[in-house]
Amino acid sequence: MKPRVGIFSLTGCAGDQLQILNMEDELLDLVSHIHIVDFQEGSSYKEEGPVDIAFVEGSVSTETDLKHLKEIRERSKVLIAFGNCAVEGGIQAMRNDEGSIDERLKEVYGVEPGFFDARLSKPLSEYVDVDLDIPGCPVEKEETLRAITSLLHGDTPLRFTYPVCVECKLNEYPCVIIESGKPCLGPVIRAGCDARCPGLGLDCIGCRGPVDSASGFAAEYSMLLEKGYSKEFILNRLRVFSGEVKEDFLGGDQ
Amino acid sequence: MKVNPLEPMKAKITEIETMTEIEKLITIKLHDREYAESFSYTPGQFVTLGVMGVGEAPISICTAQNDELELEFCIRNAGRVTNAIHKLKVGDTVWGRGPYGNGFPMDVYEGNDLLLIAGGLGIAPIRGVLQYALQNREKYGDISVLYGVRCYDLMLFKDDMLDYFRNGDRHGVKFYLSYEDKEDQVCYGLACERDDRCMHGMVTDLFKKIDRPSKKTYAIIGGPPIMYKFTIMQLEKLNFRPERVYMTLERRMRCGVGQCGHCIVGTGKSIKYVCKDGPVFTLWDAMNTKGMI
Amino acid sequence: MLVKVLAKSSFSSFVGALGDYGDLYAPVKTSEKVHSFKEIESLTDIDLSYTRTMIPPKKFFIHPEEVIFEFNIDEELYIEPPGGDERIVLFGVHSCDINALNLLAKVFTEELPDKYYLERKERSFIVGVSCVPDEYCFCHSTGTSYAQEGFELFLHDIGDSYFVRVGSLKGHEFIATHPSLFEAAEQSHYDSFKDAERKMYASFTNELEMAGLQDLLDMAYESEVWTEYGDKCLGCGSCNLVCPRCRCYDVEDHINLDLNTGERVRKWYSCMLSEHGLVAGGHNFRPTARERIRNRFNCKGSLREDMPNCVGCGRCTVFCPAEIDYVEVMKKVRGDLK
Repeated sequence: MKPRVGIFSLTGCAGDQLQILNMEDELLDLVSHIHIVDFQEGSSYKEEGPVDIAFVEGSVSTETDLKHLKEIRERSKVLIAFGNCAVEGGIQAMRNDEGSIDERLKEVYGVEPGFFDARLSKPLSEYVDVDLDIPGCPVEKEETLRAITSLLHGDTPLRFTYPVCVECKLNEYPCVIIESGKPCLGPVIRAGCDARCPGLGLDCIGCRGPVDSASGFAAEYSMLLEKGYSKEFILNRLRVFSGEVKEDFLGGDQ
Repeated sequence: MKVNPLEPMKAKITEIETMTEIEKLITIKLHDREYAESFSYTPGQFVTLGVMGVGEAPISICTAQNDELELEFCIRNAGRVTNAIHKLKVGDTVWGRGPYGNGFPMDVYEGNDLLLIAGGLGIAPIRGVLQYALQNREKYGDISVLYGVRCYDLMLFKDDMLDYFRNGDRHGVKFYLSYEDKEDQVCYGLACERDDRCMHGMVTDLFKKIDRPSKKTYAIIGGPPIMYKFTIMQLEKLNFRPERVYMTLERRMRCGVGQCGHCIVGTGKSIKYVCKDGPVFTLWDAMNTKGMI
Repeated sequence: MLVKVLAKSSFSSFVGALGDYGDLYAPVKTSEKVHSFKEIESLTDIDLSYTRTMIPPKKFFIHPEEVIFEFNIDEELYIEPPGGDERIVLFGVHSCDINALNLLAKVFTEELPDKYYLERKERSFIVGVSCVPDEYCFCHSTGTSYAQEGFELFLHDIGDSYFVRVGSLKGHEFIATHPSLFEAAEQSHYDSFKDAERKMYASFTNELEMAGLQDLLDMAYESEVWTEYGDKCLGCGSCNLVCPRCRCYDVEDHINLDLNTGERVRKWYSCMLSEHGLVAGGHNFRPTARERIRNRFNCKGSLREDMPNCVGCGRCTVFCPAEIDYVEVMKKVRGDLK
């Protein structure tokens, strides 16, 4: 029996699902190994029942998302947080520490609490057990394919546990921090993108989220301060894709 | 014959015994007869065991060399590779490289008494030492074993250990057992059976039970990192000379041949690679190699 | 030792002749601060005035990422990928890097020789070139400013010509097959060579006292210096990846979508990465940047075959985004700097 795979979507842009469709060369091979029970972006066909591998993209940003997520967890053996929104909360989580959702809805839309079905955007792991995360905005095709292959083979997929700098160096790309003092987040962001942006001379903006823990954030923060970037600038930059960056990630003396 | 040291050699699983919820005893037979016959090892050495498509992990051999050309490994399901090994059945293929590491110098110990101290998974290499010493009983003096378990369910090699516990004196080994879980009824039963040999407590508490070791005793330790510190304190109280205390260490390893660098310990003065320079070290080595224990 | 002289006017013919041995790699400027050993299409690409490449020439012997086995589950086979037969010329390698390769070769070719390293070494032709130190170089401190062996030919710039030391039979054969390129060395050439060496030696501005460093590192085990620099360290691994002596690697198995075939891949790794000392079950023997940076400096400061494990090339300092200065850290360990 082919493993039953579901590809589900919460709040997000659906770009991670799109990456699966983008695997044009492998897609036919892939579907010969799996039975897809739900894939919003690929087909209107849907099936109830248990799921062996669930890919869930998007963050939990509404009550409906939360309910949906819990249902998916309930029916799934392996649940994968798929993409930056699911892993870290996404860009919609970057202002999470600036007041409650009710206050903000009032401010922006002038509505009373409960008018919109909205919550602060949170990663899946905030509410359910997540078996594996595949980061990225969007996810990398190769990493996704490798994870699926590894799961089909019956073992735990390898995760990238080192930062973008490693891939940058192995590609012999000039370091944009050293060459031009750019505020590159490569030292603290999870590899797997093959240092695509630094390879183009661009500073990493962190779309794959922090390497495991945010433990290097304090050093990155001090380094960028020393280069003359403001605290606000650095925090904003870290928060775009790294979820709720607490000030205590940044060490004692900010 | 093998030329590339990183090339895994084929082996078949001939037996699987579930020892605890997370540990299995796996017996393998190397496929290439020539390689199997040339495969000579001493207790304390290890093999890099692997599953195709998943990876490799260093595992100590827990037997003494035997004529069967079979090797036994006590494998705890603790990571990707060991998880994959746990899923295999008798007749399945695993891949091995080795033996690696220095092993315990059984010839150095000849003519001396042996005090073997083991806790947790550390019993695996120590079992090989004990088997070897018992196979060559005439070469060694008194042999005592201190084995600490958390509870009966987590005891490894139960049949062997209970046999040593009950009939060890006949084989020429004094076997002592400690257990941490006070509520453990089976262990309590063993303590009632022989209160001079079994007690509630840590493995180091067993030092109260044993006769004072002779000056010509070698202490040989296998256990989790935390156990070394406390065991060594006891041995120092008994005035063991540091070169008479041997221990086997665990570290991350990828290659087993001193190349990949993960198992590094020590300082500028004392860099060592556990896979190649160890995994067996003396207390004297440890005293001169910061960070080793 | 055999020596010859190569007139600079013969330089282009010389480089052309090197190309007959195999694919020619030489330092090329790829950005404001980076040089790289790259395959040479045209002579003008070569920049021999370089100080250091970012990635050292170890990349030719242990590839940053390489398949060490292909496997087939159904057929129960690990297959060594074909070794290839391309021969390479590394032109313009500095003494520090040659000395680093000599030490690497000991790790990879003695005891249990690494098949891949051995084959590549066999098929390589190394041409050393003398250099001018910058403010980060301290190879005269580490005793690696002069390469005694580990090259085919070594070119010392003595003005109008190069003073050429022959380091191997392969180097000698090259000269023998291209006699018109070389002249016999005369006393004046020897004198110029000695002058050039003396001048090079006098031009170092960076220095690290090496005497007793191993003991001092041992004594500094609990020093505050590791916390100070551990806090600064980003844990990005750059220092290891650019180090000509670092050789840690990781191994991964990748299975293909047919769930039958795949590859075992070896890739460069770094002891500054958080999982370097992590064992199955979750215990990490070097859990924080403090332990990891301490381990790195102790490893670098240790002796291998009576040579320091650091060759003083300055790469780890130049390419550290956090600007951690290797010599400064070691000076603090020594107590030369407070």
